[in-house]
Amino acid sequence: MTANLVNVLLGGVFHAAILFLVAAGLQVVFGVQRIFNLACGSFYALGAYTGVSAVGFFTSHGGPPALFIVPLVLGGLAVGLVGIVVERGLLRFVYDRDETFQLLLTFALVLMLEDLIRMTWGTAPVSTGGLYLSYGQARILGATVPVYNLIVIAASLAIALGIGWLLTRTAFGRIIRASADNRDMAEALGVDMRRVYVRVFTLGTMLGTLGGALVIPATAAMSEMGIELIVEAFAVVVIGGLGSMRGAFVGALVVGVLRSVAISVYPELEMLLIYLIVIAVLLWRPRGLFGAAAA
Amino acid sequence: MRSPVALAPVVLAVIAIAIVALPAVAPAYYVTLMLPFMAYGVVLLGLNLLFGYTGLVSFGHALFIGIGAYTGAVLTTHAGVRHMELILPAAALTAAVVAAPVGALCARYVKIYFGMLTLAFGMVFYTFLLKFYRLTGGDEGMRMLRPYLFGSEWAGFSKTAYLIGPYYYFSLAVLALATLLMWRIVRSPFGLCLKTIRDNPLKAESLGVSVPRYRWYAFMISAVYAAVGGALLAPPTGNVDPTLAYWTHSGNIVFMVLLGGFSSFFGPLLGAFVFIFLQDTVMSVFPYWRLIFGAVLAFIVLFAPGGLMGLFARFRPAEVGRP
Amino acid sequence: MATTRREFLKVAGGAAVGIAAGPAVARAQAPKGVPADPVKIGILAIRAGIAAPVGAAGLRGTEWWADRVNRAGGILGRKVELVVEEESTPKDTVERYRKLILQDKVEAVIGGISTGVTLALGPVAEEMDTPWLSWDGTTQKGVEETMPKPKWAFKSVDNEVEAIVAGLLTPKYFKGIKTVAGIGNDYSYGHDCWETYQAVLKRYIPDVKFVLELFPKLGVTDFTSHIAAIQQSKADLLMCSFWSGDATIIMKQAAAVGLFKTMKGVFTTAGGVHDSLKKEFTPEGLLLGYNTMYFDDPRGSALLKQFVREYKAKYNEYPPYECDHAYFCAESYKAALEKAYAAGGKWPSKAEVVKALEGIEVDSLSGRRSWREDHIQMCNFYQGLTTHKNSYDFVTINPIEVVSTKTAMKPAGSKLLEWINGWKI
Repeated sequence: MTANLVNVLLGGVFHAAILFLVAAGLQVVFGVQRIFNLACGSFYALGAYTGVSAVGFFTSHGGPPALFIVPLVLGGLAVGLVGIVVERGLLRFVYDRDETFQLLLTFALVLMLEDLIRMTWGTAPVSTGGLYLSYGQARILGATVPVYNLIVIAASLAIALGIGWLLTRTAFGRIIRASADNRDMAEALGVDMRRVYVRVFTLGTMLGTLGGALVIPATAAMSEMGIELIVEAFAVVVIGGLGSMRGAFVGALVVGVLRSVAISVYPELEMLLIYLIVIAVLLWRPRGLFGAAAA
Repeated sequence: MRSPVALAPVVLAVIAIAIVALPAVAPAYYVTLMLPFMAYGVVLLGLNLLFGYTGLVSFGHALFIGIGAYTGAVLTTHAGVRHMELILPAAALTAAVVAAPVGALCARYVKIYFGMLTLAFGMVFYTFLLKFYRLTGGDEGMRMLRPYLFGSEWAGFSKTAYLIGPYYYFSLAVLALATLLMWRIVRSPFGLCLKTIRDNPLKAESLGVSVPRYRWYAFMISAVYAAVGGALLAPPTGNVDPTLAYWTHSGNIVFMVLLGGFSSFFGPLLGAFVFIFLQDTVMSVFPYWRLIFGAVLAFIVLFAPGGLMGLFARFRPAEVGRP
Repeated sequence: MATTRREFLKVAGGAAVGIAAGPAVARAQAPKGVPADPVKIGILAIRAGIAAPVGAAGLRGTEWWADRVNRAGGILGRKVELVVEEESTPKDTVERYRKLILQDKVEAVIGGISTGVTLALGPVAEEMDTPWLSWDGTTQKGVEETMPKPKWAFKSVDNEVEAIVAGLLTPKYFKGIKTVAGIGNDYSYGHDCWETYQAVLKRYIPDVKFVLELFPKLGVTDFTSHIAAIQQSKADLLMCSFWSGDATIIMKQAAAVGLFKTMKGVFTTAGGVHDSLKKEFTPEGLLLGYNTMYFDDPRGSALLKQFVREYKAKYNEYPPYECDHAYFCAESYKAALEKAYAAGGKWPSKAEVVKALEGIEVDSLSGRRSWREDHIQMCNFYQGLTTHKNSYDFVTINPIEVVSTKTAMKPAGSKLLEWINGWKI
C-alpha cells in the first residue's frame, strides 16, 4: 500500500521535475521580457537531442558509461547558448512591439526549430539506450525507484534553489527582478537592458535545453515532442502564475502529481483534468497562485 | 485601417471576374485549391474582426472551425440533413451558443491572457473530440457526406466535377455574402466602437461603451464566421477529425491574417490565398517546408508587420492613414 | 532521408546512366503498346511527428523497390518515377492526394499510414477512379462503414491482427494468467487492439480478469505514473500495443523498476522499433510482435537478406515491417500491370489494373503476400519470445511464430467480434 503511494507520488514528482525545467525557462523570460516563448518546448527538444549526441560521442570515444551524465549536462548547457543567437538575431527587434507580434515570432521559431531538428537528427526516436539504468535502483518504503529519477528530481530542485538564489542574492538577480517590476525605472537607474535581455533570454533557453538533456536518458527524443510539451508547460505557468519562479515550481508539482493520481485512480480524466483546472484558474484567479497582477 | 480607396474598384472587378471564370480556364487541381481558400477566407474575415478591429488575438479559433466542421458531419451522417443551406446556419447557431459563454469569460481579458484562455478552450475541445471517441469518432473523425447545394443533389456529377462546379460557386457565394456582411459590420457604428475600444479602452468606457460587452459581440461574430468557414472546409475532405481543432491550426490562421495584413479589410483574404498556394507549392518541392514558413512568418513580424497589404500601401502613401 | 521528386529523378537518372547497356537494351526490347515515358506513381509518406519513422521506412522500402525495378529495365520497359507527397493531417493529405492525381497525373497512389488519414482517403480514392494501395491504418470502421465494396482502394491488413495473434499465443506461452492489464495509445488503434485482445483471450481463458486499462495520448514521453498504476494493479500480464518510440521508453522505464521481473509482457507491435529495444533494458521472455516482417527470419528469402543488408549499410538501422508493406504494394502493382498487359496486349487502363490486382500474389520481402478479393492484404505475422542470444545489442525473437492471416484475420464480409466469438475452441 505505501509502496503504491510512494510510486504514484514519486512518479508525479518526477514528471513535475520535467515540467518545472521547461516552465522555468518560460517564466524567467516572461518575467523580465514579457514574452511568452512558445518555443520553450522546442528548446527542450533541442537539449534532448543534443544530449543524446553528446553522450553518444562521449561513449564512442571511450568515455566511461558511468560518467555519461557529464557530457549530458555539458551538451545541454552548451546548446542553450543558441539563445544568444535567437535573442540578438530575432527577438530584440520586437521588444517595442505588441505582445501579439512577439508571440507570433516565437511561433515562427517553433516551426523553424522543428524542421532544423528534423534536418539534423532525422525523425527516428533517439535515446541514450540503457544508460538510464546505470545508477541502479533505490528502495523507498517498499517501492523500487530508479536512482536516475531521483537524480533528475534532485537536479530540478537544485536548479530551482539556484534560480532562487540567483534572483535574491546576486546583483544580476536584483536587476532581473527590478526590470521585471519596472523596466523603465530600471533603465533610468542605469541598467543596460540590452545586456540584461540577452542574458535573461539565454538563461531561459539554457534552462529548457538543460531540462531536455537531463530527462532524455529516462525517455527518448521524438519528432515534434516540443509541440506536445508546450501545452503542458502552458498549463503549469497558468496555474502557477505567469512570470513567477515559485509559480513554476508549485504549478509543476500540481500538474505532475494530479496527473499521476488521475492515472492511478481515474485514467480517463488525465489531461482533461489539467485543462479544466487551467480554465478554472484563468477565470477565478487569472494571475495564478503566485503571479503578478492580471491583465 | 486604411480607407478602402486603396483597393480600387477596378482591381476588385478584375479579381471578381478572374475568380468566377477560374473553373473554366484553370487546371482542376488548382480550382479545388480555391475551395479551402474560400473557406479560410470566411474564417479570417471573422478572425480579423477580433484581431485587426478589436485588437484581440485568439489562439484558439480552430475550436470554432472544428465546431462548424463537426456540425456538418453530424448533420449529414447522423441527422440526415444534407442541404448546405441548412447546415451553414446550424453551424453558425452552434458556434454562437458555444461562443456566448466562452466569449463572455474571455472578453474580460486582453492580450496574453486572452490568447492563453482561448488556447486552453481550443485544446479542451480538441481533447474532447479525441477522447470521447464513441461520440465523435476520435482520431478517425466523422464522415461528412456530400451536401446538397442550391436544392439539388448533383448526383450525376463526379466528386471532382462537383467540387470545381456547383461547390465552387456555392462557396464563392457564401464568401461574397460573408464579405459584404463584414463590410457593413466594420463600417457601422458598432465597428467604429470596436476600433475605439482597440485604440483606447478607457476613452471608450468614458463614452459609455461597455468594453467587455462589445468584445463579446465581436467574439461571437468571429466565432460564427469561423464555424461557417469550418463547415465549408469539410466537404472536399469528406471527413472531419480532431486535428482541425489543434492549437497549431489556430496559429496558422493567425499567421494567414498577419501575412495578408490585419490593418486592411481585404488583407486576410489575400493572406489566405497566398498562404494556401505558397504552402501547396513549397510542400511538393521541399520536405522542410515548415522551416520556410517559419522564416516567412518571422520575416513578416520583423520587417513587414502590415503584411502584404502593408507592403502595397508603401507604394500608395496618399492612402495610408487611420480610417 | 526523404526524397523529393527532383532528387529522385537525379538518382534514377544517375543509376540508369551508370549501368552500361542496361536501359538502352531494355528500351530496344520494349513491348509494343507501351508508352515510352516513365510510369508515375504517387507516394504518400509521413514526414513529421510520431509516425515519421514509419513513413520513412515505407518510403525507403519503396525507393529500394523502384531502384531495383529500374535497374532491371522498369515495368514493361517503362521507368518508374516516384512522385512523393507528404501525409500529414487528413484534410491536407486529401489535398495532396488530389494533386497527385489531377495535377501530377500519377497512374496510382501508394501510401497512407495513419488511421484518420486512410479513413478519409478511402472514399476519395473511390471518387477519383485511380488505384490506391494503402500501406497501413486499416480499422474496422474504415472497412465496414465507409468502404464496404471498394473498387479502387486496396487496404492493408486489419489493424487488429497482431492483437489477435498475441491473444492466440498468450495462453500458449504464458500459463496461469488470471489478471491482465493493458496499455495502448489513446486512439482507434490502441482501443481496437485492446478490445480485440480481450475478446480473443476470453475465448481461451474464460475467467480472465482485465484489471486495468490505460490509454496515454500518442506522444507522451513519460510513463512513470502509468507504470506505478500498473504495478499497483498486480496484474499477471501487461499487454502493450505501442509501436513507436514510446514502446522503447516504456520498456526502459519498466526495466528501471523491474516490472517484468514479476509480470509477463506482451508487446504486440513494438517490433516497429525493434532495434531500439536494447538488451540492457529489454528482458528475455516477453512476447514481441513484428507485424508482417521479421528482419532476422532464419527462413527468410534471399531477397529479404539482401534488403536487410543494403538497408543497414545505407541507413545504419535494421528495417522495420513498414518496409514490407510498402514493397508489397509497389510489387503487386507492378505484377498487376504485367498481368493485365499480358491479357490485353497494351498498357492497361486503371480499371484493368485493379481487376488484375484482386487475388494477385507476389514475392514480397517477407515471403508470399497477396490481395484478397475484397481488397485486403493477406500475409504472415511474426511474433515470438524475446531472447538475448544473438549478435546484436538489441533483442530478437526465438522461437518465432508465423501466423497467417488465413488464421488470424477475419474473413471477407464478416464482423470482427462476431467472428472471434464464433470460433470453435
